[in-house]
Amino acid sequence: MIGRTDTHDPTRGTDTRGEAVPEERTDTELLIASRTEPEAFTELYRRHAEDLLRYFARRTLDPETAAELTAETFAEAFASRATYRDQGVNGVAWLYGIARHRLGRFFRNGKVDAAARRKLGMPERDLPPEDYERIEDLIDFAPIREALAEALESLSPDQREAMRLRVIDGLGYAEVAERLKCTEQNARQRVSRGLRKIALLLQERGMQLTTEVEA
Amino acid sequence: MNTDIRSLQLLERDLEGVAARERDRLSSADRALDGGSGGPRRLPRRGRGGGHAWGGIAAALVAVLVLAGGIGLLAQGGSSDDSGGESRAAIDADSGADAGSAGGGAGGSGSGPQATVAPAPAEAPAGDASYLSDEAFGTLSESERAALGYSEEAARDAAPPGSPLQGVGALPEQQGDLTKIIRDGRIGIVIADGSFSKGVAGVTQIARRNGGFVLESSSRDERSGALTLRVPAKRFDDTMLALRALSGQLDGEVEFQDITGQDVTAEFIDLQARLDILKDRRELLLDIQADATSTSEILRLAALIDDVQLQIENIQGRLNFLKDQVAEATIKVEVRERDVQREDPGSDPENPSLADSFELAVQGVLRIIGAVVVGLGYLIPLGVIALIGWGVVRLVRRRDRGAN
Repeated sequence: MIGRTDTHDPTRGTDTRGEAVPEERTDTELLIASRTEPEAFTELYRRHAEDLLRYFARRTLDPETAAELTAETFAEAFASRATYRDQGVNGVAWLYGIARHRLGRFFRNGKVDAAARRKLGMPERDLPPEDYERIEDLIDFAPIREALAEALESLSPDQREAMRLRVIDGLGYAEVAERLKCTEQNARQRVSRGLRKIALLLQERGMQLTTEVEA
Repeated sequence: MNTDIRSLQLLERDLEGVAARERDRLSSADRALDGGSGGPRRLPRRGRGGGHAWGGIAAALVAVLVLAGGIGLLAQGGSSDDSGGESRAAIDADSGADAGSAGGGAGGSGSGPQATVAPAPAEAPAGDASYLSDEAFGTLSESERAALGYSEEAARDAAPPGSPLQGVGALPEQQGDLTKIIRDGRIGIVIADGSFSKGVAGVTQIARRNGGFVLESSSRDERSGALTLRVPAKRFDDTMLALRALSGQLDGEVEFQDITGQDVTAEFIDLQARLDILKDRRELLLDIQADATSTSEILRLAALIDDVQLQIENIQGRLNFLKDQVAEATIKVEVRERDVQREDPGSDPENPSLADSFELAVQGVLRIIGAVVVGLGYLIPLGVIALIGWGVVRLVRRRDRGAN
């Protein structure tokens, strides 16, 4: 994903033939422009959507929750873009400020609010089956594998077994479903629910799920 | 979009749809606002920003002012009756309420210069000063009682049969209320056509029969007019009743009636006390002057005596005026034949003139502003406390988040 920051701007100016090229706008410029050009916001989205999804996935461990939080964060950012003021704060930092706020609410309430999406008339979509593994790939389970093993004890037997097969043994969902004698979708949901529960549990215990520093 | 995650692709499509709708909204707003003048467009804000926010602020401000006004009116409600100055007992002409009972009741011990409507007891102890409460009367010295015009003979003469005052040895404490009240009344009578002369004659007779007289009179086309009567205070209620009865005798009705009472007891007592002091001072100065030996001293004392004498005369004049006003009530009678329109409807409290209405409106506005100011006096300290509390809660929450 191509992202443009506010501190480095190598594409501005002219190309090697000396011809003028369209200047790529910084995140801050896109945010400000989106007040009168709503399409500029989608450009900002394209730049940062996957990073933000990873940010949520590594903290919630749950693909469904991460996707919902990503959607809600962008919806809220769009709805309140008029309140953004360029006071030296990078546009993307403002976006992650909203993300942190959303994440905090999720850890407090245990669910993702959909108010911003409803306000904008956006649908609340279920996570497509193929995205579970793709989003899990964004999560680096290695640093928390040990903590996860302990937290597994708090899950129901079905969830625990699904989690063990998927996260600890590293099997694919097809194999997990085969071992558990259930559908792949069912296996994904068990893992997803288990991960969400563990994420909330680890958060309660004050355990840092990732050391990644956002933009 | 450079990602293979399906949910992000769907989300991108959703956001593009939202952006397109927003674009349409902005375009239509632009067209509506400036007709495409090409000027810089302003983003119609959602939620917390923009015009909605200003609307919210304005609504909140109005709500606060209304609340303040309500609180102010409530706060002033208790005191407004006491500070109203002259009180008025307006009687609905059609209600047929008895004038005596409407203006009646014990005068009490009103402390203001103008207080509750004057009593009109036909059976009340009459005399020049007969309305002071027993308790208040008991606290007066002999000179003060005399100053109030009280005499045992007058009280006995005016007392109803069976009253303790009829007894020879009636005690001062039993001699009733000596409150000094100036009573005024207004009554409008509508009579049958062609009976104006009879009406005026009837009013005059009523005044005479009750020991009073017609102070002023005026008429218009011999079909309507106004008379000002002066009657002894003790005959006030009888006179008002007789005037009401007169309207019936002339196939008419009472159009309006109101009775006012002004309590001047406190002023009266104060003036009398000041008069006594000044008289004593005058005597003292005269004694000193008699012993004075030098011309300059005699002249200086003479100036002082003149000054005291002037003050005595002023007070005495005011006392005489009050006595006169208390002793005799004033009744303004408006008489008109049925077909004649009222000349001055503005004086009718039920149907005020444009000028009176304007004055009332100004008073109303000032009263509301006053109420709002009073209400803000209550609300501002509460608001400051609430703001501090809100700030503390916000701070604590922020710290908690930081700790987490």
